[in-house]
Amino acid sequence: MKNIKRCTRCILSENFPKIEFDEKGVCNICNNELLCSTDSVIIDKARGEIKNLFDVARGKSEYDAILCYSGGKDSTYTLKLAVEKYNLKVLSFTLDNGFISPTAFRNIEKVVSKLGVDQITYRPSYKFMKSLFRLSSLETIYNPRTLIRISANCNSCISIVNNTALKLALEKDIPFILAGFTLGQIPCNTIYYKNNYEFLKDTRKPILDKLKSQLGDEVSRYFEISDSLITKSGFYPHNINLLTLEDITENEIIEEILPMGWEIPKDVDGCSTNCIINAFNNHIHNEKYGYSPYELELSHLIRNGQIARERALEKIYDRPVDQIEYTYRELEIKHN
Amino acid sequence: MNNQIINTEIITKKQIKDSLLDFVSRQFLVDKEDIELDKSLIDTGIIDSMGLIEISTFITQNFNFKVSVDQMTRQNFGSILLLVDFIDKNKRFN
Repeated sequence: MKNIKRCTRCILSENFPKIEFDEKGVCNICNNELLCSTDSVIIDKARGEIKNLFDVARGKSEYDAILCYSGGKDSTYTLKLAVEKYNLKVLSFTLDNGFISPTAFRNIEKVVSKLGVDQITYRPSYKFMKSLFRLSSLETIYNPRTLIRISANCNSCISIVNNTALKLALEKDIPFILAGFTLGQIPCNTIYYKNNYEFLKDTRKPILDKLKSQLGDEVSRYFEISDSLITKSGFYPHNINLLTLEDITENEIIEEILPMGWEIPKDVDGCSTNCIINAFNNHIHNEKYGYSPYELELSHLIRNGQIARERALEKIYDRPVDQIEYTYRELEIKHN
Repeated sequence: MNNQIINTEIITKKQIKDSLLDFVSRQFLVDKEDIELDKSLIDTGIIDSMGLIEISTFITQNFNFKVSVDQMTRQNFGSILLLVDFIDKNKRFN
């Protein structure tokens, strides 16, 4: 994997879809200056509009926002921003997918205590989660476009996170759903948007049908919202990714959250700060597609000066064998 | 024309189509000739559901009107040609 040809400016590899290199070894995405310069215009505009949205809605519900809190560094810093910078009353929500690092759970406890926010942890059936991860590891479930920036298992997990957060927001009349994604993990045009569940559900139907055909109707409980709740709530919240508005490096984020008692977990791979299954997810993605699902995100951070190229390479080359083997056993997947 | 706020008074349907094709091609790393104008971008695997959000934001940024929840339907977003009609109709009355 280390011998693979990569862009000399970012870390996108020759196996990344539609990649091309110029005579200096620089990729077509790095060379697309138009794309990069547009980001800052969109971010500036989003910053003002998000502030206005918060100013109008603040204090009108039991909670101003629900925050999808994994315990990792990015969502920890996003929670801090929501409470301290934006002065929002936040309900912190964690999905326990069965593979969260014990250190991450301790971090969640310490941070929510320090910030004085309410916390809900939801743990779907471990049996179901293992079946879901096994299926998305072995078969092609998701749109290839989605898998450019995320592994299949991460996408399975995040789909449940998003659906559960929306369900809670609708039940409790919470106007904002916050998450700690960075640009690169999500495209610039999705920094904030009104969550139109009905429309998105229609577009996701083929994927849900695939999941249901393999895992049964239990899929609905975790991936869908009842029509009665949609009708009863009568509104859609905004999804907002606050971290994308900040010009901050990875090291600066860690410096900001360490004083709250947050610790770096030792039982995760270089691309995660909360989830033990991530090493396995990346391993499967690499085996199937020949590149890391983190290449796009890390390359974006490199272009923005938010991480050094060498550090990004360290992250994607960190593949702890013990965590990969542990997950193969837990998911009961045989391999050579 | 890309990435600039377009003057809604003078833009033609062809300009809208070209602008959308430029955006989809660049943003979703697909060759323009591979985009079937009358087919769903999702069904043909060019975008996923988040791609629809991206296109919605692109419309807001470039054609000076906000796409409402009620307007996010297959009728409006079902293909490039349907999007062109949708944008053309709304920029005219905006």
